[in-house]
Amino acid sequence: MPALTTPAAARQTGTPPGTQPRPAPRKIPWRARLRRDRVLILMTVPALALLGVFGYTPMLGLVMAFQDYDLYDGFAHSPWVGLANFQQLLTDPSFWHAFWNTLELFSVQLVLFFPAPIALAILLDSLLSRRLRSFIQGVVTLPHFFSWVMVITIFQQMLGGTGLLDTFLRQHGVTNPFNIMVDPSTFKFLVSSQLIWKEAGWSMIVYLAALAAISPSLYEAAAVDGAGWARRLRHITLPGLKGITILLLILNLGYALTFGFEQMLIQRGAVGPGASEVITTFSYEFGIVQGNFSYGAAAGLFLGVTSLILILAANKVAHLFGEDGLYRR
Amino acid sequence: MSADRTGIPLNRRSFLGVAAAAVGAAAAAPLLASCGESGAGGAGSTSQSELAKIMPSYIPSNLVKPDFASIDGSAPGYLDYPANLVHTVSGVPGDGGSYTAITPLWASIPSPSGNTYYNSVNKALGATMTMQPSNGNTYNNILPPLFSGSKLPDWIQIPSFWTGPLNFGQAVGAKLADLTPYLAGDKIKQYPNLAAIFPAAWQAGIWNNKIYGIPVFATQFTVAGFLYYRADVLDTLGIGTPHIKTINDLYDLGKEINDPKAKRWAFDDIWTGLLQPFDVPSNPPAWVTNDKGDLVASWETDNIVEAMAWEAKLVKAGLMNPDAIALDTNSGKQRFWSGQELITFDGQGAWNTGDQQSGTSAQKGYVRGAFPMFTASGTGTPRIPLANGTEWFSFLNKDLSKSQVEELLRIANYLAAPFGSYEYTLINFGAPATDYTMTSNGPVLTATGNKQVATTYSFLASPNEVINNPGYPAVTRATALYEQQNAKYGYKPLFYDMNIAVPASLNNALAASQFTSTGNIMQEVVRGRSTVADYKAAVTHWQKNGGNALRKYFDGIRAKYGDA
Repeated sequence: MPALTTPAAARQTGTPPGTQPRPAPRKIPWRARLRRDRVLILMTVPALALLGVFGYTPMLGLVMAFQDYDLYDGFAHSPWVGLANFQQLLTDPSFWHAFWNTLELFSVQLVLFFPAPIALAILLDSLLSRRLRSFIQGVVTLPHFFSWVMVITIFQQMLGGTGLLDTFLRQHGVTNPFNIMVDPSTFKFLVSSQLIWKEAGWSMIVYLAALAAISPSLYEAAAVDGAGWARRLRHITLPGLKGITILLLILNLGYALTFGFEQMLIQRGAVGPGASEVITTFSYEFGIVQGNFSYGAAAGLFLGVTSLILILAANKVAHLFGEDGLYRR
Repeated sequence: MSADRTGIPLNRRSFLGVAAAAVGAAAAAPLLASCGESGAGGAGSTSQSELAKIMPSYIPSNLVKPDFASIDGSAPGYLDYPANLVHTVSGVPGDGGSYTAITPLWASIPSPSGNTYYNSVNKALGATMTMQPSNGNTYNNILPPLFSGSKLPDWIQIPSFWTGPLNFGQAVGAKLADLTPYLAGDKIKQYPNLAAIFPAAWQAGIWNNKIYGIPVFATQFTVAGFLYYRADVLDTLGIGTPHIKTINDLYDLGKEINDPKAKRWAFDDIWTGLLQPFDVPSNPPAWVTNDKGDLVASWETDNIVEAMAWEAKLVKAGLMNPDAIALDTNSGKQRFWSGQELITFDGQGAWNTGDQQSGTSAQKGYVRGAFPMFTASGTGTPRIPLANGTEWFSFLNKDLSKSQVEELLRIANYLAAPFGSYEYTLINFGAPATDYTMTSNGPVLTATGNKQVATTYSFLASPNEVINNPGYPAVTRATALYEQQNAKYGYKPLFYDMNIAVPASLNNALAASQFTSTGNIMQEVVRGRSTVADYKAAVTHWQKNGGNALRKYFDGIRAKYGDA
């Protein structure tokens, strides 16, 4: 593909190194680059169109966050209220409760969940039997395809008040067995374990790919030099995973405020909103369920902007550490 | 709920999909919240004098003498299906017009092509009604787009508990036909079957001084529901018929029958059922008056705090099924049927043929019973607030011409033919021989009938509800007797049957999600996760954030329109 070889060629034939920090790409005029990359650009059109139709067009509806939106008056005739919805939002204690709760649940989930797929990938990568490996990979990936309703039902059937465990305990003389499904104080660990059970196998695939990209000769050389298992892990495997880990971490931060809507909504009743309310369920309960669209949109917009700031901040930090982050600087 | 009596396997709990504890509350909130101040005329409600001018006349019909007469408004009960079916409409009501109708359906949607049921009913109606039943569980989701996209059919069912997001006070004037010129006063006499529908149900369909809604499934004794128990299991345990005189009796009974080791708990979450003995009105904001005659919301009363404390005690003692504690309302009926809990709260319509069949298939010998109403303290007369005359209404499109409206009203009159009529049998069971066969127990659907007959036309217009369970006279006897004995405790709460438009700024205070949503503060207190002090703080917060303003607004409504 000429489009791909051109930059390299330009670098080779360009000005001698050292005279300019970033020589070749800057020199090609904008039009020429457009012509050069037209095939690549063409390939992104369907994705951009999709993003435009389903991502950006609905954003126009955000104007209702600044209106007192009425179903019959529509966007055109609903009265403007300026920042009143946001004012109400930011003085609403239940909103702040949902906000801090979101951050708390997210942090706990991040700390507990994030290492799980990495550990799983390293473990699986060290298995020699290919057959056993693909079997285990199949088993741990499967729960990803279950819906949250199903995952929570399975947890309920196992650990719930009338589930397998409690029924067994009750039949063996425990009068009031512990019911983790309705306990608000342990809820953050419950949702983390649900997430690990459901998603660790799926998230592992990316790390497995990254592990496969590490040249076996590195391990061989290290082994010849007398590096043991732990040293090889520390000096070859983990550095090899660093880039992808940081990228995923940043992407995850982008979901920090929107994560787990279904998971929380389904269990909202069981443990109560005190432990389970997150911004998305707040926006749903108080915006959509009660037909208060403007208020829900205001909460949604607040959430979007905060998420964007979080992503940009994380990206900045990644760049400071010399990593690629979302894009190469 | 009441639709159960016409054979629809559903109840208020299952189709609302809300927590049982908030059933009555959740159901009524949107009704009141629905009308914005921008509603036609800007009026808050309809005054008694205005009502008197437009209320349709009431001409009761007595086609078949019931085995259990209506006492104090209880629904009449019929043990058998009448053998001689009477024609109540002469000739064909339609002029050959073609119309579309959308109704909710809690069953599989029948195929319209070659449907003998649709064809035979349409033939009798003399019009081509294109029925478009839509999944009842998601019906509330299709309503807003129908309204905002101007895609309303000619005739549509809109339950009053789903009008919340529709801003209904404005919607009726903008999109729906005003039926006042056709039905007010004696004009309704042209449609005798419509005139036989209870006035309270017509009144609940009046918005801003105009008749819009055609009431469906009307009853006089409509309440949130009853406290039910497993009569067969109590017999097996040697307890027999329980005699509950106080709330402590109920606790003692629960303690006696609770056996978690055998996977059998005494109680479901019976919160809504506790509102009757503790005398708390259940429709939000459920105003009552205090000693001084001032309006007090139900959640500001001491009674509701007592009810919470009592149920919290029950949870703490391990008498409530853990799944009920986890607010798993979807499997609530299943738990009751299979005997995993013996005392539950459910809607009035939960007690019928379908329940008997499901219960028996889960556990042999299944019998449902209900506790007669009582007071928590055992003193005084028990009482229970009546819900509006009905919560089911059909509406005609505003774009219809006068002659089209008249044609559809004649069709509505046909559809509202009472129990025991030829028309009622046709609407509910389809064509004889093809869709049903007449047995000694009454009509039984054939294989074809089971596939094709669906509750569709009945959602557009139907007669007052009756109790009849073909093949299960024992169920009819039990329910009819229970209603006869308990209907006298029904009372009309403040603002009964009034559609009140609330300014948008008060909508949040009226919806009062902290008291009505899933996982609300009451449920938290009952489960021991919040304290009564937390609850009182929530009440104070509500008062300061619109609650007191709402009270003032309702004071104004009271002064202007009266309170019932």
